[in-house]
Amino acid sequence: MGRYLLKKAGAAVLTIIFVLVLNFFIIHIAPGDPARILSGLDNPSPEVIQTLREKYGLDKPLQVQLVTYFKRVIKGDLGHSIVYDRPVWTLIKERLGATLLLTFTSAIIAFVLGSLLGAYSATRQGSKVDAALSFVAYLLYSMPSFWLGLMLILVFASWLKILPTSGMVNLRAPSTGILHYLDVFWHLILPATTLSLVQIPAYYRITRSSVSGVLKEDFITMFRASGMDERKIFRKYAFKNAILPTVTVFGLHLAYVVTGAALVEIVFAWPGMGRLMLGAIYRRDYPLLMGIYLIMSLSVAVTMIVVDILYAVLDPRIRYT
Amino acid sequence: MDENAARARFTRSLKEFWMAYSSQKQAVAGLLILLLVVAVAFLAPYISPYDPNYLGDTLMEAPGRQHLLGTDGMGRDVFSMILHGTRVSLLVGVISALLSGMIGTLVGGISGFFGGTVDAVISEIIDIFLMLPTFFLILIIVAMFGSSMLNVMIVIGLTSWPGNARLMRAQALSLRERTFVIGAKVIGESRGSILFRYIIPNGIFPVIANTTMQVASAILTEAGLSFLGLGDPNVVSWGRLIYDGRAYLTSAWWISTFAGMAIVVTVMGFYLIGDGLNRVLNPKLRDERQ
Repeated sequence: MGRYLLKKAGAAVLTIIFVLVLNFFIIHIAPGDPARILSGLDNPSPEVIQTLREKYGLDKPLQVQLVTYFKRVIKGDLGHSIVYDRPVWTLIKERLGATLLLTFTSAIIAFVLGSLLGAYSATRQGSKVDAALSFVAYLLYSMPSFWLGLMLILVFASWLKILPTSGMVNLRAPSTGILHYLDVFWHLILPATTLSLVQIPAYYRITRSSVSGVLKEDFITMFRASGMDERKIFRKYAFKNAILPTVTVFGLHLAYVVTGAALVEIVFAWPGMGRLMLGAIYRRDYPLLMGIYLIMSLSVAVTMIVVDILYAVLDPRIRYT
Repeated sequence: MDENAARARFTRSLKEFWMAYSSQKQAVAGLLILLLVVAVAFLAPYISPYDPNYLGDTLMEAPGRQHLLGTDGMGRDVFSMILHGTRVSLLVGVISALLSGMIGTLVGGISGFFGGTVDAVISEIIDIFLMLPTFFLILIIVAMFGSSMLNVMIVIGLTSWPGNARLMRAQALSLRERTFVIGAKVIGESRGSILFRYIIPNGIFPVIANTTMQVASAILTEAGLSFLGLGDPNVVSWGRLIYDGRAYLTSAWWISTFAGMAIVVTVMGFYLIGDGLNRVLNPKLRDERQ
């Protein structure tokens, strides 16, 4: 186990370094010379540009700049947003909560619903319900998250007028106490539904194929032959064995979920990182953009490693291969 | 005579393949969707009732006899725009998936076949790439370097190869132990020649199935970029229609709705085909056929 952990931690560190280097080089090959942009004037004097270059260390060789960048990021300094004129990390920290709330709520709902439906389908393979569920899974799998969000807005907010279309809170609602939480929950329904729906197919498909795989195994046939109750076989033996691969999907799909979350946030004006990122794109706020990308890649990498380790804890076979 | 035998064997395996593929209802449905989409892409200018860029006099007209799927906020015919958008989605999807397939095949083939340090380093790189949230990487690169269609295709292709590489690597790892490869080595064929003549042709099938799926995800990525206003501004694409239609969601729901449906149908077609191919090629999954 120790060796396995060490290997995984090594992979995490490598990924983080890779992301940092990638970030650094994207900034550097991007069109536009920052010193020229900062000097602002139509015809800036060479002295101003030179001074700016020296001030920001842009005259140093690339590898020196890379090391400076590393040191800064490790200290938690992600740079300064051009548009907001505030540190990037502060801006991200303010939005992190909203994004995490949306991402985790939807991931948990999708995990539970998707694997239950998948297991249900697997025990009734070839039935009409199975066929219908598989079709719906394909349909949802093919749907752009942002479009599904728009359609839900259209139906539930514009036509039926029962759910709020955007934002996280109603400004007129109380900002503390139980009413506040209810208000947030009310606003969370549509975005979380959208994001869960697009994730369900992944869990559904893996659980369905893994449960049907386990049901064909010899030990299950053995239980059946011995006359054990079908439901007991399923609950006690098949499901436990079959649910393991679903855990890996949780990790593997995380990058995809983060993407979906950002797009869904934009559709529903959910005040998370996705919206912050969109603003950064439109206003060409590169430091903010790169900061958000860095945080997103780091959190995905770290979570994937955690899921890997969790998987190894759950399934001893993994540790020793 | 040897050539004839080889050809006969090839025809036979092709027939077997088709039998296995066409016995799956879903896979056939996917193929039909693909044929329809390709036909629309080629025939778009001939079957569109209007020029997609023609600004008509009736703005936001509801779907009806004049305009099958209504008009947008500038009086353009939504149906004609969707028909023309097929070309963009298909082009971006296919080209970027092909690019990703080629890079993946090469990298994975080299990694698995050469083995040793090369394999260790490449595998590590593949693992790292698989962890990156690629959509944001694409987003940033497109935002910084411009959003022409060519850029979008290249960036999607360059960021989505690791999945293919992993599949090809696994294939190469098992193929290099096979007698015919070892035989070629003994005869003294160069490693590059073995890679291209034996390893890649014999191990490419899972990559083909995966590449089909990647067309689907590339179409979704392009739509996502366009929805964020980062698509090619010079072309009509489905993502852009959804983006434009968003502003009219309450007054002209048909703009976003139908464009999104076009995406769903097309993407589903590619997923169905990819799944069908996977089932044929992977004996383990074959029993699950419905």
